[in-house]
Amino acid sequence: MSQRNQQSTQPELDGMTHWLIHHAARRAPESLSSRLEEEWLADLGSRPSPLSRLRLAVGCCWAAMVIVSEYQRSRVPAASPVAAARGYITLADRHFDYLSLRSGTLFLIIGLHAALFCGLITTLSHAHELAAPPNLQNHVLAPVPTT
Amino acid sequence: MGKKDTNVRMSLQTLRILEIFLENPTVQLAGADVHQRCGIASGTLYPILLRLESAGWFVSQWESIDPSSEGRPRRRLYRLTSAGLRRASEVFASFNRGVPA
Repeated sequence: MSQRNQQSTQPELDGMTHWLIHHAARRAPESLSSRLEEEWLADLGSRPSPLSRLRLAVGCCWAAMVIVSEYQRSRVPAASPVAAARGYITLADRHFDYLSLRSGTLFLIIGLHAALFCGLITTLSHAHELAAPPNLQNHVLAPVPTT
Repeated sequence: MGKKDTNVRMSLQTLRILEIFLENPTVQLAGADVHQRCGIASGTLYPILLRLESAGWFVSQWESIDPSSEGRPRRRLYRLTSAGLRRASEVFASFNRGVPA
C-alpha cells in the first residue's frame, strides 16, 4: 500500500522539482539563466531518490537568490588593501552589509520562533485560567457572628 | 560581471571545494560530483563554484558527450586554472604557516 503511494507521489515530486529548478533559473541573472537551468537539470539526474532531488531543487532556489544578490553587487568587495593584494578574503575580512540575505533569513526565523513562543504562552495561560478549579478561586466570606 | 575581480571570500565550504580540486588539479568535476565528495548543499555549492569561476580560479565547460546516445543531459564541468591552482596552493600554505599576530 505504502509502496503504491510512493509510486503515485513520485511523478508529482519530480514535477515539483523541475518546476522549482525552472523557477530558480528564471530568477538568476539573464546571462546565466539558461546555463544554470541546464546545469542543475543535468545534476538532478545524479540524485537517486525523489526527496534528494527535491532537496537539490530547493537548494537551487537558494543558490539563485545568492547569485542574484552577488550579481547586483557586481563584485566581491575587497575589505582592505592587504586582502586585495593577497588575492583572497578571509572570514575576518568579510564586509557585512547592513542586512544581508543571510541576516534577513536569520531575523525572520528568530521572529517566527518568538511569535510562536508568545502564541503558545498566551494560549497556555488562557487555558490554565479556564481550567482553574473553583476551590482555588477567591471568595469573600460572610462575617462570623460573635456572641 | 564587469571587471574581473580575482578576490574570493574564503569560507570553510570554499576551502573544502578547493581541497577536492587540489587533490587532483587536472580533474574536471560537475557540481553533482563535488556534492558527492564533500556533501555541501546545492544552495551553497553553486554560488561558490560561480564565484570561483568569475574570479578566474576555475573554468567551466560543457561535457563533450552526445546526450541522445548517452541517455542523459550534458553536465557542466569545472576545473582549476593555473592561476587558480597557484592561488589555492598559496591559501593552504598560508593556513599551514598560521596567521601572524
